[in-house]
Amino acid sequence: MTFTREKDFGTPAKHGETVSLTIDGQPVSVPAGTSIMRAAAMVDTAIPKLCATDSLESFGSCRLCLVEIEGRKGYPASCTTPVAPEMVVRTETDKLRKLRRGVMELYISDHPLDCLTCSANGDCELQDQAGAVGLRDVRFGYEGANHLEGCKDESNPYFTFDPAKCIVCSRCVRACDDVQGTLALTVDGRGFASKIAASQGEDFLSSECVSCGACVQACPTSALIENTVIDKGTPDKSVVTTCAYCGVGCTFRAEMRGEDLVRMVPWKEGKANHGHSCVKGRFAWGYAQHRDRILNPMVRTSVDEPWREVSWEEAITHVASEFRRIQSSYGTRAIGGITSSRCTNEETFLVQKLIRQGFGNNNVDTCARVCHSPTGYGLKTTFGTSAGTQDFDSVEQADVILVIGANPTDGHPVFASRMKRRLREGARLIVVDPRRIDLVRSPHIEAAYHLPLQPGTNVALLTAMAHVIVTEGLVDEAYVRERCDGEAYAEWAAFVSEPARSPEAIEELTGVPAADLRAAARLYATGGNGAIYYGLGVTEHSQGSSTVMAIANLAMATGNVGKPGTGVNPLRGQNNVQGSCDMGSFPHELPGYRHVSDNATRALFEADWGVTLDAQPGLRINNMLDAATDGTFKGIFIQGEDILQSDPNTKHVAAGLAAMECVVVQDLFLNETANYAHVFLPGSTFLEKDGTFTNAERRIQMVRKVMEPKNGYADWEVVQLVANAMGLRWTYTHPSQIMDEIARLTPTFAGVSFDVLEERGSVQWPMNAAAPEGTPTMHLDQFVRGKGLFVVTDYVPTDERTGPRFPLLLTTGRILSQYNVGAQTRRTENGAWHAEDRLEIHPHDAENRGIRDGDWVALRSRAGETTLRALITDRVAPGVVYTTFHHPDTQANVITTDFSDWATNCPEYKVTAVQVMPSNGPSDWQTRYREQSDRSRRIATVEPAE
Amino acid sequence: MTRVFISRDMASVALGADTVAEAFAKAGCEVVRTGSRGLFAIEPLVEVETDAGRIAYGPIGPGDVKAVLDGTHANRIGPIGEHPFFSGQQRFTFARCGVIDPLSMRGYAANGGWKGLDAAHALSPQEVVDAVKASGLRGRGGAGFPTGIKWQTVLDTPAHEKFIVCNADEGDSGTFADRMLMEGDPFHLIEGMAIAGHAVGARHGFIYIRSEYPFAVETMHEAIARAASRIEPFTLEVRVGAGAYVCGEETSLLDSIEGKRGEVRAKPPLPAIEGLWGKPTVINNVLSLSAVPFILAEGPQAYADVGFGRSRGTMPIQIAGNVKNGGLYEVGFGLTLGELVNQIGGGTASGRPVRAVQVGGPLGAYFPPSMFHLPFDYEAFAEAGGLIGHAGITVFDDTVDMAKMARFAMEFCAVESCGKCTPCRIGSTRGTELIDRIVAKAPRKADTVETLPQMRNAGTAARTHDEEIELLRDLCDTMKHGSLCALGGFTPYPVLSALDHFPEDFGSAHVHAAAAE
Amino acid sequence: MSDHAMMSTDERLAYMAEHILRNFATRGEDEAIEATAEHIGLYWDPSMKARATAMADEPGVPLSEAARAVFRRLGEEQPLT
Repeated sequence: MTFTREKDFGTPAKHGETVSLTIDGQPVSVPAGTSIMRAAAMVDTAIPKLCATDSLESFGSCRLCLVEIEGRKGYPASCTTPVAPEMVVRTETDKLRKLRRGVMELYISDHPLDCLTCSANGDCELQDQAGAVGLRDVRFGYEGANHLEGCKDESNPYFTFDPAKCIVCSRCVRACDDVQGTLALTVDGRGFASKIAASQGEDFLSSECVSCGACVQACPTSALIENTVIDKGTPDKSVVTTCAYCGVGCTFRAEMRGEDLVRMVPWKEGKANHGHSCVKGRFAWGYAQHRDRILNPMVRTSVDEPWREVSWEEAITHVASEFRRIQSSYGTRAIGGITSSRCTNEETFLVQKLIRQGFGNNNVDTCARVCHSPTGYGLKTTFGTSAGTQDFDSVEQADVILVIGANPTDGHPVFASRMKRRLREGARLIVVDPRRIDLVRSPHIEAAYHLPLQPGTNVALLTAMAHVIVTEGLVDEAYVRERCDGEAYAEWAAFVSEPARSPEAIEELTGVPAADLRAAARLYATGGNGAIYYGLGVTEHSQGSSTVMAIANLAMATGNVGKPGTGVNPLRGQNNVQGSCDMGSFPHELPGYRHVSDNATRALFEADWGVTLDAQPGLRINNMLDAATDGTFKGIFIQGEDILQSDPNTKHVAAGLAAMECVVVQDLFLNETANYAHVFLPGSTFLEKDGTFTNAERRIQMVRKVMEPKNGYADWEVVQLVANAMGLRWTYTHPSQIMDEIARLTPTFAGVSFDVLEERGSVQWPMNAAAPEGTPTMHLDQFVRGKGLFVVTDYVPTDERTGPRFPLLLTTGRILSQYNVGAQTRRTENGAWHAEDRLEIHPHDAENRGIRDGDWVALRSRAGETTLRALITDRVAPGVVYTTFHHPDTQANVITTDFSDWATNCPEYKVTAVQVMPSNGPSDWQTRYREQSDRSRRIATVEPAE
Repeated sequence: MTRVFISRDMASVALGADTVAEAFAKAGCEVVRTGSRGLFAIEPLVEVETDAGRIAYGPIGPGDVKAVLDGTHANRIGPIGEHPFFSGQQRFTFARCGVIDPLSMRGYAANGGWKGLDAAHALSPQEVVDAVKASGLRGRGGAGFPTGIKWQTVLDTPAHEKFIVCNADEGDSGTFADRMLMEGDPFHLIEGMAIAGHAVGARHGFIYIRSEYPFAVETMHEAIARAASRIEPFTLEVRVGAGAYVCGEETSLLDSIEGKRGEVRAKPPLPAIEGLWGKPTVINNVLSLSAVPFILAEGPQAYADVGFGRSRGTMPIQIAGNVKNGGLYEVGFGLTLGELVNQIGGGTASGRPVRAVQVGGPLGAYFPPSMFHLPFDYEAFAEAGGLIGHAGITVFDDTVDMAKMARFAMEFCAVESCGKCTPCRIGSTRGTELIDRIVAKAPRKADTVETLPQMRNAGTAARTHDEEIELLRDLCDTMKHGSLCALGGFTPYPVLSALDHFPEDFGSAHVHAAAAE
Repeated sequence: MSDHAMMSTDERLAYMAEHILRNFATRGEDEAIEATAEHIGLYWDPSMKARATAMADEPGVPLSEAARAVFRRLGEEQPLT
């Protein structure tokens, strides 16, 4: 591990015909449009600069980068001057040196001189450039007007703004505008009084700043700097790795000093994030060192007992003997396991292998069950493979973007920034969502149409869009004829054309004005490249799978699959949810989405693993819990998943777990599920292991160990210990061997190996002999299944209905600063933005109930009751309430029911009939749960030996 | 009923034209309010329609009605064209200003209006651009860039949408030509813009007017409404600035129209290729656009026949400051500076000797009488270390302190700087501080920081006067060559010219060598 | 169904089958039954399928005719080979 700063070429790369010129006598050939500065950097000529950086378009304000060009008057700035054929440039002359020194003299006449005690010492571009131009004396002196009295803004928990160190280069403002797209920063005042301000002169925390860190990264001095660097000093080594938060899969340089992580800096070469980040990946990694982490294995006989710390050996032996005992008493199928979408592909692969090879059944499931299982079903049925069709770069060629049931600025912020940039460039936007998400209207962005539908009516709405497209003759007939199954299309077209599917017919049901729906459908069908992005607002419904198929139908009918700028793009929730599905985490599928009943596939694995595999599908999570209450399912291994908090109908989950005889939880923290566990195995963080994650664009990226596991073992090692204790003979010494096995057994991964990933940075599957470079866009010439399949999607209303007792519809979601059940983010400073779950309620509904903003309210459904504080807002429509599920104190899933998707049993999180009433405090259930939770988390203290 | 003509120009109104007009109306006259003729020493000017043509009187007060109407008033001028201030002018652009009711469509058409537009419409866009090129017209905003070439670039850049932007953010001290034209002959500007729209394929135009010109804003609004059907399919709207000098710089003006903080953009891209909202944009000064109707109506050669060297056509020169005949004087390029100041301007108003003339606004160079032989021409002025700019001439007598004027230039730059580029943002403030020390004859002693033992390279000796002057010259050099736009880049002109021509005011005994290149 | 948390396993299996049937309903009853049986064959675990098959012939179980037909079919076929 060594520390090298990423090279900064000053201005972004351009693509054009090659232009040849001469810089300081050296011949250079670069694409047309390239700046002189970048051309010079490409031949290692570092023209002094301060306001230029290659993540931002050139700005030309610092005036350090002046050069001389033969035949041209004056001293043009090399950052803003493009190359021209036969140009002859000189970057160092006496005159240029004098001018640059003159500029630097001005800078330093208004800058603190505490370089050695400055937190950016050694990592400061101003310092470097002052050195480069050879400034030795500031002839103006140091007592002129200056900005040295400016107060530091320390409101943000992760970084500090020191205006005295600011050189007003606007890199932070430009990063906020162009890269992040929040436009929270501005230059306040004019001339000498110009200064950087957050929003309307507020502090950073109260401003619109979303703490993505782009400004900090862009700052050439210590005006904006990470607090960890202030505390620890500058890093001395770095490792490139992949973020363990959402499915965007940003790559970061983990910058270290000794064993200490100093900061995470988004990696410019990262193909998913191109050097951008959000508050979670950039800053919220402190949980890895949090004192709550459990570092020793623990065992207990009953969940009423305190935990007893044991050796790894004892814990592993105990797990193996308990599982074997249960199987001998209750049968082979009485145990199962849950893989983690937060763990690596290799770890996930091993957990399902442990279950299939070691447990001898297919009782494996994963959190995708509760998020994107309908994507798997729907896209496999229509296109032939269970994955998004595009890479993220594709959005840059989209002309119409349809966002349905997703809130990218909160859930997938780094991708949202790229989408927003495209929208600012002129792409049109359609948002289908019950809430007025931020994307609907934000600086320089306004959705052409926001269709605020009633929760649960996605299928009706999408089918009505299809009605418009078919009946108004907007189908791309040539595409459909060539690429799709004609018979299925004809049947589908006839179905959607029926008057009952028209926008007018369903207007009352969806609450969406028919005229808007028609206009939106026309725009999607005729506005150029149409790209659909969707999230859990599509899948987490009783018709989640139908909705995914309805989306696929729309895309096929308009010819919007199989080329850049189009496609059907599920925005995946967790970092490796795509990977965990790829790795065979579903009870009916072996790795690579091959059904367990497929004899040839099974034979392949059987030959490799030396066992006979079960040809019958196993239990889904909810089926496991049902079977547990029925007394036929007795033991479970849960890696890195907190089903008690994340899965619906908490009482049902609790009852299932309580009925089991051996619940093994492997996690970083004593999570809520661990309250019902008998064995706790400490987990390792993504910083502590090697492996790969696969993001929402099917991109496989390296996770690299930057520090030793604090708990002693990486998770894959723990699974191997359990496997071997159960009599399997695994001999993996490095995760690369696991990937080799995956590649050997999975045709879509055939070309993948750690060596390939090291060489290329990342690849998108399928990667094999047919696609040696990987696959950025799927279904290019034909669909994976051959002909695209239109599927009739009839609207079947959910059985969850509002009525006098439960007159409102609850829909749930997440927020930028918190992640999933909050186990990680709650153990960081991100609470500064979101310390509790709040219930969003429309002013009318609040007024009817006598609820004021901030009041405690009781939220009640048929499943249960909880209390939380109200947030009155018209982002939600009347009749709809909304909350997040990040905090165990709230337990939003006490409210959600176990209604689920008809095809995949993905829970219907997004539609629960509820009542909201004023309240004084926690519900009885919350109180009881809290007491039980506290009791369950006791760890026995070992008396010190005398 | 007698018809009289009285200006409603802001300057005339400031001198009392409204009360004079009221008095004539009360006396039963039909009062036609016009633009100003442009000589303020004779305002309020009243022209009485007679069988022998319009007879001018001025200045006139409200009590003078009777004497004017019976022709006995002592300030009788006679036909205005015979006044020496007007007899030598070549009014291509201001021909109708002061003659017609500015908002009379009929009056405009009857006096040669729309001839240029009609001629343009009979030509292809390329032919219009060729005519402008052949006329030799150069940007009247100050840069002197050939207008036809700019238009050609916009014409050649393919785009669904293009714009014409008129820069009417006339911010230079001592200039008023844009305002006079917009108030006195607004259709003329509209016609010029419509021709530009036809020439480059733009359908919409903006006129960016500084907020200090409420009369011009109002007049343009009304004129645009009245001329709308005449210039179809071209449309126009007015945008009002917010008092920032730097918004007169074309790229920050574009930012301002887009609703952003007015900040200079780096070029390239040129506005002609990526201008307003990233679309190809013609951005021209009022006077450039207003030169175009003549060129189309009379042919490019008629325009090019007038002028000097590479400076073709006429220039509406604005003479102001301490001068007897302040006003607007439109004439072909090539008169000498001395002729303009002494013959046409009539010398100082104070009667004291002229000491310095600043040409080109607050960022123009100061010239001593020893340089009065300079012909009014872009190249001649550039060679002499100055610029023509928007053709404003400000005259100072021998009481002026040129060091103070140099300081004023730095201060002006500090006040008006947008703050984007470093030389202008910090340099102007340092320049002000530095000139203060020079003027106070208090060269800097080593300061607290410099004398700290930690500072090993800082100078510890007091700076000498010569060192401070040298630093000022170095600073001017940095600003001139390093600034992003003309605000910082031109500030050295007044400073260095003051220093070069009037070193005694800076406490230097002898004349320095020429300014740093 | 006032409180589905209290659903028995039999009730739940019946409910799930009905739910799948409803989503195939546009195909007509016969095809819907076939498609549902096929779906269950692919996705349900053997014990669930076994219980469903058993339920088909238990007279006391409240089951729609279509669902009963689905469960009968499950017993007849070996869809997974």
